[in-house]
Amino acid sequence: MRALNEIAVVTTICIKSIPQRFWTSLSTVVAVSLVVTVLLAFLAMAAGFQQTLRGTGAKDMAIMLRAGAQAELNSGIVRNQARLIEEAPGVLKGPDGKPLVSPELYVIVDGIKKSTLPADGDLKKAPRANVTLRGLGPAGIAVRPGLKIVEGRQFNPGTNELLVGRALQKDFVGFNLGDTVKLGNSSWVVVGVFELGGSVFESELWADTPVVQDLFHRQNVFQSIRARLTGPDALGALKDYVANDPQLKLDVTTEAEYYAQQASRTSDLIQKLGWPLAIAMAFGALAGALNTMYSSVAARAQEIATLRCIGFSGTSSFLGTLAESLVLSLAGGVVGALFTWVAFDGLTGSTLSGASFSQIVFTFHLTPAVALQGIVLALVVGFIGGVLPAWRAARIPIVEAYGTP
Amino acid sequence: MSDLYLLWRNLFRRKLRTFLMMLAIFVAFVIYGVLGSIHYAFQHGVDQAADNRLVVTNKITFIQPLPFAYVSKVAAVKGVKTVTYSSWFGGYYQDARNQIGTFAVDPESYMEVFRDTLRIDPAARDTFIHDRTTMLVGEAIATKYGWKPGDRIPINSNIFTNKADGSHTWELTVAGIAYPKTDSANTSFILFQHENFNESKTFGKDTVGWMTLETDSADLNDKVATAIDDMFANSTAETNTQSEKAFGKAFLAQLGNIALIITLVVGAAFATILMIVGNTMVMAVRERTKEIAVLKTLGFPSWRIWRQVLGESLLLSLLGGVPGLVLAGLLVTVLAKSASSAIPGLALTMPVMGLGLGFMVLLGLITGFLPAWTALRLNIVTALGRL
Amino acid sequence: MTGQTLIHLQDVSKRFVKGKDTITIFDHLGLTIPAGDFVAVMGPSGSGKTTLLNLLGGIDQPTEGAITFDGARVDTLTEGQLARWRAHNVGFIFQFYNLMPTLSAARNVELPLLLTAFGRSERKRRVEAALSLVGLAERANHYPREMSGGQQQRVAIARALISDPKLLLCDEPTGDLDRSTADEILAMLQLLNREMGKTIVMVTHDPEAAKYARRTLHLDKGRFTEREMVA
Repeated sequence: MRALNEIAVVTTICIKSIPQRFWTSLSTVVAVSLVVTVLLAFLAMAAGFQQTLRGTGAKDMAIMLRAGAQAELNSGIVRNQARLIEEAPGVLKGPDGKPLVSPELYVIVDGIKKSTLPADGDLKKAPRANVTLRGLGPAGIAVRPGLKIVEGRQFNPGTNELLVGRALQKDFVGFNLGDTVKLGNSSWVVVGVFELGGSVFESELWADTPVVQDLFHRQNVFQSIRARLTGPDALGALKDYVANDPQLKLDVTTEAEYYAQQASRTSDLIQKLGWPLAIAMAFGALAGALNTMYSSVAARAQEIATLRCIGFSGTSSFLGTLAESLVLSLAGGVVGALFTWVAFDGLTGSTLSGASFSQIVFTFHLTPAVALQGIVLALVVGFIGGVLPAWRAARIPIVEAYGTP
Repeated sequence: MSDLYLLWRNLFRRKLRTFLMMLAIFVAFVIYGVLGSIHYAFQHGVDQAADNRLVVTNKITFIQPLPFAYVSKVAAVKGVKTVTYSSWFGGYYQDARNQIGTFAVDPESYMEVFRDTLRIDPAARDTFIHDRTTMLVGEAIATKYGWKPGDRIPINSNIFTNKADGSHTWELTVAGIAYPKTDSANTSFILFQHENFNESKTFGKDTVGWMTLETDSADLNDKVATAIDDMFANSTAETNTQSEKAFGKAFLAQLGNIALIITLVVGAAFATILMIVGNTMVMAVRERTKEIAVLKTLGFPSWRIWRQVLGESLLLSLLGGVPGLVLAGLLVTVLAKSASSAIPGLALTMPVMGLGLGFMVLLGLITGFLPAWTALRLNIVTALGRL
Repeated sequence: MTGQTLIHLQDVSKRFVKGKDTITIFDHLGLTIPAGDFVAVMGPSGSGKTTLLNLLGGIDQPTEGAITFDGARVDTLTEGQLARWRAHNVGFIFQFYNLMPTLSAARNVELPLLLTAFGRSERKRRVEAALSLVGLAERANHYPREMSGGQQQRVAIARALISDPKLLLCDEPTGDLDRSTADEILAMLQLLNREMGKTIVMVTHDPEAAKYARRTLHLDKGRFTEREMVA
């Protein structure tokens, strides 16, 4: 009990003395908060990107691509293959008895990001960004149960009508309801805006497959087949069926897995950039913390020695100093996390996805788990920055209590 | 003894503190050096694109193909000097993750258009033009996989099927190596014959991915571009013709705002050291108030003391920053090898180093300004407590 | 062996403004110190001893009146001119020595020579001479923290002498030293006065120290109360 009291007393003295070294302490707090902000901004970007792609895949949806294609972009599937899949086992049937299979076409068109629009608004000068135009089969809507049309209506089959993803509409110029959009040689009318759980699909344009095939000269060619499964176990049956038919040289995975794999590459990259940067910067902040704490110990040397003189232990000086350092770094960590939250959380970014070769719009997302990583980094800086000065504090000779001129 | 000696002694008065400051500055300049080099490589790669080279792509997007027939039509446009064309093959070696930028090209015209970018020895050149089953390998790829001229290498495609056996594999013989002629030239590629590709693929016959052309003069660029795009207007494949520079910029912009991210990170790193070092310098000079007063008493003019303090922060900045840039240079050299395809021409260049030195001087001046000013204004009578 | 006038204070007033109050330290003070004099200044705290030394040494300026040194006005000099003047004409010796902790004894002594045009070898010769004069030739490479108070004060004396000033100003030079060390230092000052003709003004609390001076001035509330007391 006595030991605890001692520690409490010394800790209070240390922490109360922080305002005396206001600027030095502040510089440590700011330095730590900048480090945490840089780390969290990157991690929030990675988390947001991952969330967007993770949210895309359904576990009970199979996606089939040409064997070895890796991504929809590289794939090629012919009509006959699509027909064979409709008869495959494990595929769910709709209320009308038709199998929920959607052969889809994947065309890359271009659009203009609002963020890159020149100041004078001249669309001709604006750089173009890749956008996915997806042709949906007749069951294209039915295979995606989470779909919500938030504005307008579904496109009518056989017409040049477009459904626009919510994220794409927010990020790109000229996709409002009723707008006429020129894609390649053809004109399209935006008739609806959809949301689909914040997934990648919200960065896409959707239209009727035959029309897309026609206008982009891709008759009878698809890039992927999506099929709703009767259950998570049905994937095996479908895989066996495909493997046993020589006409079906297809790779079968669940959509969830397909997008998770795509997500991991980019978000890994972002994390791989964020951590080394933050750790390098943490060394800088550590230098600041050590400096602050050494000067704190020097400033309190007489005080500490006096306490030792009247019987306080070296341990309490050690822990008190360490506590001061941790308090400062914790403050820095919290400030950094709050700043990241205010400045970045909810911010949309978009990047070119390596696998789909088109823009994916995502939202920075500062999850509590991510924020915690930032705080932990701050505390590590505080701990290392406090231990050495605390060691010195614990070993201040008692004669210092008498002071020197 | 000189002023420099005094300055040096003062700087290392508290060795640990000075070392910590140097470490903080060091780290910031490592970050600056590496990120600055990456930014420069991206920017410079685009800037270095020849002024009189245009890229013709499908108007829908650059990954839609163009009919092969367009090549001769474009070549006939007035002001066009040479046209060449390429197609994306989606190539990889052994494992689908080992992607290689693989292009089917017309050897002769391709090597002509890129004569100032690539150095190819005459024998390799000759083999590549005349032997249909050969490929020209960029230096970076040849080094990575240890390929030598004469090696037969199976290259896979994640898009196309080889008509010969229904596989995705094309066996190609290394005709030679293409070496970079400029710092920023990317040599992470494989080139093979369009003719070979066109005849062996199962779909997309008689198309090309895009065309690259040289105009007689950069002044003609706009005219030529308009002439080409007008020619194919309202056809099944409309074209978009733009300068290689604009094309590169648009592609970079798709990745996101790299420049902004780099600026923010470097800015945060510099803000950190500015806080830490600035504060420490103030503290360090405050500790020496009495000594400065004594120096003034001895007859040292104020400006000389001002210069000393400023010199001290400047020296601190350089002692931390220069090694930081040196390490950044080493890191960039290592990184350049492993990231040669993502960021061609990555190196710590003179402009980046020069700007870095500028930042060091600026950092030294800013962190030294307040304490130097304090020292300049310091009143002997008050500082020595002689009232 | 005092001679012509070295320092002359004519009607010197010094006032400080502190908050709303104006504190008057000197009101029309006059003082003449001939060259070669050794003056001890005594007086209670707050009597103006230190301010007098500040004015004589040109680190502070009078509010009114004229100060002449060697026939030339110093109270009209600018800050920069004063610094140069101090470097050439005045040596300072402080109670707490005020040596640079980062410099060795020899470097401390050499410090004022940075303000001169002497070459490297001349500076070296002078430093050696000054250090042997104060009996510390052996300690040239020691740092202040490695020396006793008496030794540090001797280094400070060597530093004050190095640029060969006419005037030495000492502020409680023995205030931090024991009796016998103090006597050594005072004897050294006396020697400098007698043999080298240095004019010395020394502020002290210690009547024993004052005995080494040629005369003692008593300062109280900004006025000299006793004029002469020849040792």
